[in-house]
Amino acid sequence: MERDGFLELRGVASHYGATQVLTDIDLSIAKGEFVALLGSSGCGKTTLLRLLAGFISPSAGEVKVRHRDVTHLPPDKRGMALVFQSYALWPHMTVAQNIGYGLKLKGVARAEIANRVAAMQSLLGLDGLEARKPQALSGGQRQRVALGRALAVDPEILLLDEPLSNLDARIRLTVRHELRALQKRLGITAIHVTHDREEAMVMADRIVILNAGKIAQAGTPEDVYNRPASAFVAAFMGAENVILLNGTLEDDDFSIAAGTANVAGNVPLAGRPLASGPVEARFRPEAARLFEAGEIAVIGPGITFRGEVAAVSYPGGHWRHVVRLGQTEIMADGTQAFEPGTRVGVFVPAEALFLFKSPEAASVSPISRASSGKVHA
Amino acid sequence: MPKRLLGLLLVLPALAVIAFLFILPLIMSAVGAFQVEEAFGWGNFIKTFDLYTKDIIFTVVIVSLSTVLIGIASIAIGGYLTLGEHPVAVAILRWLYRWPMFIPFIVVGQILRTFLSKNGMMNNTFINLGLLTPLDAVSFLDWRGIVIAFVWKQTPFVALLVAGAMASINRDTIEAARNLGASRLRLLVEIVVPQVAMTLTVGLILSFVTMMSVLSVPLMINAQSPTMLTADIAFRVNSYGDYGVANALGLISLVLAGSVAWIYLRASLKERA
Repeated sequence: MERDGFLELRGVASHYGATQVLTDIDLSIAKGEFVALLGSSGCGKTTLLRLLAGFISPSAGEVKVRHRDVTHLPPDKRGMALVFQSYALWPHMTVAQNIGYGLKLKGVARAEIANRVAAMQSLLGLDGLEARKPQALSGGQRQRVALGRALAVDPEILLLDEPLSNLDARIRLTVRHELRALQKRLGITAIHVTHDREEAMVMADRIVILNAGKIAQAGTPEDVYNRPASAFVAAFMGAENVILLNGTLEDDDFSIAAGTANVAGNVPLAGRPLASGPVEARFRPEAARLFEAGEIAVIGPGITFRGEVAAVSYPGGHWRHVVRLGQTEIMADGTQAFEPGTRVGVFVPAEALFLFKSPEAASVSPISRASSGKVHA
Repeated sequence: MPKRLLGLLLVLPALAVIAFLFILPLIMSAVGAFQVEEAFGWGNFIKTFDLYTKDIIFTVVIVSLSTVLIGIASIAIGGYLTLGEHPVAVAILRWLYRWPMFIPFIVVGQILRTFLSKNGMMNNTFINLGLLTPLDAVSFLDWRGIVIAFVWKQTPFVALLVAGAMASINRDTIEAARNLGASRLRLLVEIVVPQVAMTLTVGLILSFVTMMSVLSVPLMINAQSPTMLTADIAFRVNSYGDYGVANALGLISLVLAGSVAWIYLRASLKERA
């Protein structure tokens, strides 16, 4: 993979009226790579995709494909094809006409169009549907027609704007794998916009997490999941439990002082840019290990909290506990249920404990409110 | 049961209005078309075709031509409002194009009479600009004047419907075509217009029927023969008190208008099937 230079964004910025939507986006995408742009709604991910497609011009920066500046080229001169969230199939055209329209625009001969459309149909499992209108297709079929229409023009780069969000949950799971397999088979570069963390994880080679128009982190799924670069990324990737701790730097270890709800602990620094003082700790409910307060804590690097079970529910596979630790509440999963009111210890191993330089102590609180809501759902 | 009766009672006034003020006069005119001095027969129609075949053709040609031109003009206006990229030009057009809709046909006739005549404003402007010599100036107060009046007056109405429909189509379908390299004209003809075809048809049919029934424009602009059926009907009634032929002419107008509506019904049924 030519890491540098296939598709490059340098200092791209965009604003809508007075609102800055994207700021200083630098991204380099290799040929054949599947990149997921992940973020919550309003983070600028769709704007970034539309900017790549050429529907909007950046207010600053440049977009390059194979070292060629395409920043101000019209949408069709960029070798990119976009699959819309709404599919945007033309309702007055049949499946075959929809798929073949891009070729017709390119002036391809009619017989050749028919061949390419037929090939595309069998590739996508749409055989026998060529004469149907989009209204007569199921959601999954429409999605495949939209994909076929984009792929028919043989683009170098496929842009996907939440193409799976309109599908039933069950179909979505299979389409994820089909889409990924197809992309690998064709060796096409794909940029996939989504707000679904799991979708990004299972489909992408690399995940680019956007927050407020900036890249919060870009890395492999494993990277962003296990080594989140910021508290935002950690929270977005599911580490919603948040606690403020105090600690001091000791050589290669960060030693955490005993607090109202936690016993003292030691975690390896592992290259994290931490300083002595308050830190924000985050972890996923499934990373926690629960034990009764009287039991001996699990041995190993990590940290142990002490608290009281406030609620317990069974979302499937494990028991989810809301544990009250002094002022805050956290969620912790366990293989066995602890009754509300039980005094428990919560052990979080070092590798699953994400520590960040604490911002303002006050700005940390809202997470526990969201989590307690989930328990009752 | 009483509930049902109450329901019937509620629609009764409306039903009565339609029955007595619309359906009954229509039936009476239709019947009257076949009445020649207290007896039934084809007399009125024979007379009508003898005297007015040319006018029937004239009417159909004028109204059809106007409909086609209205269609083209309203697609152009709606298309520019939807696809135009110059915001100021779009805003000006949006503000301007509706004005003729609020001007009555009779006023349109009046305006165009002074505008299109041999010594009218149009020819004067051309002469002053040196595009035309006074000798070559011709009056447009004939069939061309009627077509101009109809197109001028009816385009805003159809454009309003069409522009509304165009504004409500999924923008992504336009961008998807742009993404594949469609030019502005192809976007309009191949992507936008087919999606508003039904609205366009409805607007054009309503315009067709409206134009079929306009009396003032042919009277004001085209005071000669051949002329439109409305002028003939007025003439039969006002000058001769000849309701029989007037009714026959009316029935022919109705058939012409009805055939267009039938085309629309067939198209809409096919669309739904």
